[in-house]
Amino acid sequence: MSGHGIPCSGAETKTAGADERSRILIVDDLQSSRTLIGSVLSAAGFLRLDYAADGIEAIDRLYADPPDMVILDIVMPRMDGFEVCRKVREELRLDIPILIQTGVQEAEYRVMAFDAGASDIVSKPVNAGELVSRVRLHLERRRLMDSLQRYRRRMEEELLAARAMQQSLLMADDDVGAIVIPRGATMQTYHKTSNVLGGDLWQVFPVDEHRFGIFMIDLSGHGVSAAINAFRVHMLAGGMMTLRADPAGWLEALNLSLFQILPVEHFATAFYGVVEPRQGRLDYAAAGSPPPILLRDGGGWEALDGGGLILGCSQSARYPVRRAEIGSGDRLFVYSDALYENFDDPDRTFDTAELAERVELAVTDRALPFSDALLNALFGTSDCQLRDDLTWMLVEVNAP
Amino acid sequence: MEYGTEIDTGRLIVTLSGILTFDDHEKFRSVVTVIADSDVDTVVVDLAALTMIDSAGIGMLLLANDRAGKQGKNLRLRGMSGHVAKVVEMSKLEQLIPID
Repeated sequence: MSGHGIPCSGAETKTAGADERSRILIVDDLQSSRTLIGSVLSAAGFLRLDYAADGIEAIDRLYADPPDMVILDIVMPRMDGFEVCRKVREELRLDIPILIQTGVQEAEYRVMAFDAGASDIVSKPVNAGELVSRVRLHLERRRLMDSLQRYRRRMEEELLAARAMQQSLLMADDDVGAIVIPRGATMQTYHKTSNVLGGDLWQVFPVDEHRFGIFMIDLSGHGVSAAINAFRVHMLAGGMMTLRADPAGWLEALNLSLFQILPVEHFATAFYGVVEPRQGRLDYAAAGSPPPILLRDGGGWEALDGGGLILGCSQSARYPVRRAEIGSGDRLFVYSDALYENFDDPDRTFDTAELAERVELAVTDRALPFSDALLNALFGTSDCQLRDDLTWMLVEVNAP
Repeated sequence: MEYGTEIDTGRLIVTLSGILTFDDHEKFRSVVTVIADSDVDTVVVDLAALTMIDSAGIGMLLLANDRAGKQGKNLRLRGMSGHVAKVVEMSKLEQLIPID
């Protein structure tokens, strides 16, 4: 990337090749001007030059085969340079550099040129050194823009592919139903990532014929690193199936694994619960999880204890098993912190009571699906852009 | 997030204010540098003026604690209130970083 834009430097012949292969269209109604500009550029090594004698001709050339750059006169018969600029930007939608040459010095006139879509302006009569420098500058800038755009497109494609992989980690509604319905419950889940990739993960496991396990984890941070850690947790969980009846054992095993793989500033918060609808029982353990909310059948709610040392920070962390009654018609709501924290508008951060009241209203909303009703109640819209990953699980026990 | 530092009877007091989130990574790196460069045994991170913290912010406190510990310095937290106090309590941070 060195050497470009420095005429007469020793390395010129070797490094400036990419620019000299660029195709430049020279538009001017005066034959003498076209020849002058052409010879200046030829002398500087630009050999792929094309010419047009007015705006209409220029537009024809641009439609047929767009060059890498245009050097454009303003005052021409049939169609002037301003109009050519506008057409290139608005109709042809080309972002190639357009260098305007004009003898008019008034600032207003120059502003008009930039408004029409010019990239730069050189004064007429043309100064050879200035013209070559500016042409090189804009071709180089254009080349960098192209390579940035290509890079960006490739990153976007890769992130989308990664997102699809991440979505495929999450269970389909039917698979969740196949586990929880025979055991006397129904479940709704919600997952939305903040910036394409996220660090939230939820899972549901059959424990035995009466019980099922629900697991939710929020890896710290967001974006690529959080997503990679979510993948790791998914793999780890696959190897921990013997622990799925034991919430404490589950979190302790996961904590030890994460302690080994996560850097010191990364950690996770998590909830693991074993639900036994026919006994009306929930055994759970938590690691710094937002307090899960139990909504009672007849109305009212209580917050469970989500406290516990965050995962991945200490080898000796212990996670006591806590028990709650969950009867027929009761609902358990487990969620990530993005649901109630609002960093853009801290006053719109909800405490547990404010959140529980809104969840309670949303589950009884007859007009809207639960997710829309809850998002409306919390964010004022069901189509919100979040700064963090948002996940929740809503379990309703309906065993007799 | 904004930060200030002062030396008080042989201890480095780091005051954090505002909101500490993912977006403060760069700025927090200077906080860690100040802590590393200081010639003290004890570093007190005062969070009284911090109004909110996200998981990345907790991660930054863990990082500062780790760096201080590796140099034999004691890092302590103090002054949490509101949202920050809740997050610290929920995550049992006192098991990792002493709290005054």
